[in-house]
Amino acid sequence: MSDSESRRRSTALAILGLMMIIFIVLSAFSFLGSRGQVVPYQVSFEGHGAVDGKRVFQAYNCMGCHTMVGNGAYFAPDLTGIYRRAGPAWLSAFLPSPGSWPTAVAVSAQLQDSAIAAVAKVTTLDAYYQKYPGARDRVERRGGERSDMPNLTFTKDQVDALIAYLKYTSEMNTEGWPPKPLVNGLTNSRATPGPAAAASAAVGAAGAPSSAAAAAASADPAAQGEQLATSFGCVACHSPTSQRIVGPGWGGLYDSKVKLSDGSTVEANDAYLDESIRDPNAKIVAGFPANVMPNYGKLLTEAQRTTIIAYIRSLGAK
Amino acid sequence: MRIEYETQRLSKRFFMLMLVLFLVQVIFGLILALQRVDPRLLQGVENFNVARAEHLNLGILWIVSGFIGAILFIAPLLSKRDVVSPWLAKLLFYALIVIAIWNFFTLRLAQIGMAGWWEGQPWLQQGLEYLEPGRAAGILTLIGFAIFAYLVLRTFPPMREWNEIHWGLGIGVTALAVMWIFGLFFVARLDLQEYFRWFVVHYWVEGVWEVIHISIVGFLLVLLFNANVRMVGYAVFWGVTLVWLSGLIGNAHHYFWIGTPAFWQFWGSLFSALEPLPLVFCFWHIYLDAHHDRRPLANAPAFYFILGSVVLEQVGAGILGFSMTFALTNVWSHGTLITPSHAHLALFGTFGMLGLGAAYFAVASMRDIPNFDQRLGKVAFWLVFIGMLGMTFSFALGGTVQIFDYRILGLDWFGGDILRAVTPFGVLLLLFAFVFTIGAAIVAFDLFTLGARVRSPAGDAHHQHVTAKSGEPALGAVPARVPTGWARPLTGYEAAVWLLGMWIFGGIITLGLLSFNLESVRLGDPHIPYIMAGTGYPGLLLVTLLFVWRFLASLEARVRYPDNAVGAHAHHSDVGLAAGAVGT
Repeated sequence: MSDSESRRRSTALAILGLMMIIFIVLSAFSFLGSRGQVVPYQVSFEGHGAVDGKRVFQAYNCMGCHTMVGNGAYFAPDLTGIYRRAGPAWLSAFLPSPGSWPTAVAVSAQLQDSAIAAVAKVTTLDAYYQKYPGARDRVERRGGERSDMPNLTFTKDQVDALIAYLKYTSEMNTEGWPPKPLVNGLTNSRATPGPAAAASAAVGAAGAPSSAAAAAASADPAAQGEQLATSFGCVACHSPTSQRIVGPGWGGLYDSKVKLSDGSTVEANDAYLDESIRDPNAKIVAGFPANVMPNYGKLLTEAQRTTIIAYIRSLGAK
Repeated sequence: MRIEYETQRLSKRFFMLMLVLFLVQVIFGLILALQRVDPRLLQGVENFNVARAEHLNLGILWIVSGFIGAILFIAPLLSKRDVVSPWLAKLLFYALIVIAIWNFFTLRLAQIGMAGWWEGQPWLQQGLEYLEPGRAAGILTLIGFAIFAYLVLRTFPPMREWNEIHWGLGIGVTALAVMWIFGLFFVARLDLQEYFRWFVVHYWVEGVWEVIHISIVGFLLVLLFNANVRMVGYAVFWGVTLVWLSGLIGNAHHYFWIGTPAFWQFWGSLFSALEPLPLVFCFWHIYLDAHHDRRPLANAPAFYFILGSVVLEQVGAGILGFSMTFALTNVWSHGTLITPSHAHLALFGTFGMLGLGAAYFAVASMRDIPNFDQRLGKVAFWLVFIGMLGMTFSFALGGTVQIFDYRILGLDWFGGDILRAVTPFGVLLLLFAFVFTIGAAIVAFDLFTLGARVRSPAGDAHHQHVTAKSGEPALGAVPARVPTGWARPLTGYEAAVWLLGMWIFGGIITLGLLSFNLESVRLGDPHIPYIMAGTGYPGLLLVTLLFVWRFLASLEARVRYPDNAVGAHAHHSDVGLAAGAVGT
């Protein structure tokens, strides 16, 4: 090895060292507290910290389909700002059964939860839409339709933790990324109109499903019930067979013996089904997590509940 | 050529493992391409994120396996002695298999949300892009890298005898292990997590793999073309220096929008714009080394893949990377399918092709088969080359449309608009993915069975010509002459013009991304970016294809040169290797 070679090598190493110093200084400045970047320890939702949510996010490898601050798989929506756009009630309605898009009633049901309403700082769906226009877009364009996401059957704790994490990422300063669109893409010919959604959207905004009225016109209570179950979003979690989507399947449920998580058994009669709609956490079926389904007591009239039960009955014992 | 040291044979198992992992990765790639067209395909069985985790992880594993194979093959030649502790190399091989199988099963746990949390760390899988495996596999991998670094450094001569290639590989294998450590922690802050994740991903690719790549390519050129070690060493030195000069701060291009301050946009745009420099250097050198004499290619498939590696490094990493490295273009390309177009061409192109090229060279040497049938290898090269260029093209055009719909119109995935917009490109992607898959299967088959088939005189016109002439030079049925037209010798001037052509189209691509900033585009008129992407991407990829074709045609025609027509001779290089055994 000649002298010139070793001199060249030391010069190269010196330049490398200089670059490294610049990089380290810049890095140190990036994470100074004075910059005011939000940190996950400061953010929580329903008693769950954003750090817990990040653990759930990583455990399910959400980044393997979605992107977060733009990094990920470009196969599904970027989630960085979704809390800011769609809000806690929409996320609470969506995450337990991500295989389908929440309807207006499903979002309203979440707003019945005083904790969620307190975080959202609104109580009515209209006010919620005002505050989180992304929720309106999603409900109006896709509400009740099947989504392309698999049902991952998150528990209630996981859902809340995820929402805490999404709240944290929404509050992050990402230096203006992604850029804000200057035009309304929905008026562009490239936008796909949401087919079934338009009708049920109007419904949600009014707070009481107008399709309920349409259903009432139909004579057969079972058919009416099916229509109701669809427009309220029940079918996102309950299949018409005995298959488990998120909650118990309805096929063959009526009059059957249901084993509960406390070890007792109950007969799936009208009274049990009605109670399960009004207050789903009163009796939890064995093998299913509690606190996933919201209370539908205030959203469904007694007549509507009876109609839905008629539909469940029609799905019969096989 | 034949091997000189018995322990060079240790490399073979790594090349074979590389091929198996490569094939499995390609199968996952096909599943992903199908799911891009039908997102509900195999839902609940093989969710997209699981298939993608497997695809990325296998990609890393087989590239690393190829590196290990290539370095174990050349380390004895560089050290003029056998590899120390061959048992450690064998242990490394089994450890790699264990890690591959372990990862295959643990990555699937993402489907049920199981990360294996213990002591605050995810032990089974951690759901971070490129760093999907959990802590158990991560620590085992670190041990593997440490063993590998030990093997290489112990085999190398004392440091004062190192030339530039020793330095490149020595630093490379050490840094490979050191950078990996930054991925072995759970980081709660998203910005800090992304900051450290890119330490591994960017510094591996830009700081470590590229250095190993330059060194291996350099030494393979020495072996293939009898190039001067000192001259190649000079290129390796400047290549490595420029890689670090640009790449160290160049990592900043990952810190534009992850929650880190805006000043990174300045540093990232400035330094990563320099990142193509070492690649231009490497590109230039393969021209020089391949043309310092006019002997025909002894092992064509090996050189095909090495040329592919250097050219696609230029195009995939250099040009496509350059186009999206500025804050003003990255703000649009970030988070869209433009990114995988760059990633596929750069990762497979640069590192994958090098592994395959090294495997062709090493396997032919180890099996001592100078006259193996090279046709399958050439066909396979063209299939994977065209397949990958086509996939890049599909991703890039899909990404351009995606930028317009997603960022300009503000449409989102949930509305179904983005999926609908990119699906035609997904179909195109699938088409080229099939071409690639066939090529990959042929490469694997050919390398598994290399030497089982001998070059048939009837099947190879060039070769037949050479043998006939070298056997009976006096008869000279076909007058030997310097080829003309497409196969005429490639001059340095012409190579530079081709390179310039690539960069002109690269410039169009960059300006196309930049044009999303124009007011007319932001108000909803996509014509300018669409026209520029529609010219830039096909132009770039076509020039790339034609250049490689032209380069290889000129080399293939060397068997017809007057001085080669009398028969190629085995002769000795600086490192004392018999090379160029055509016709012997």
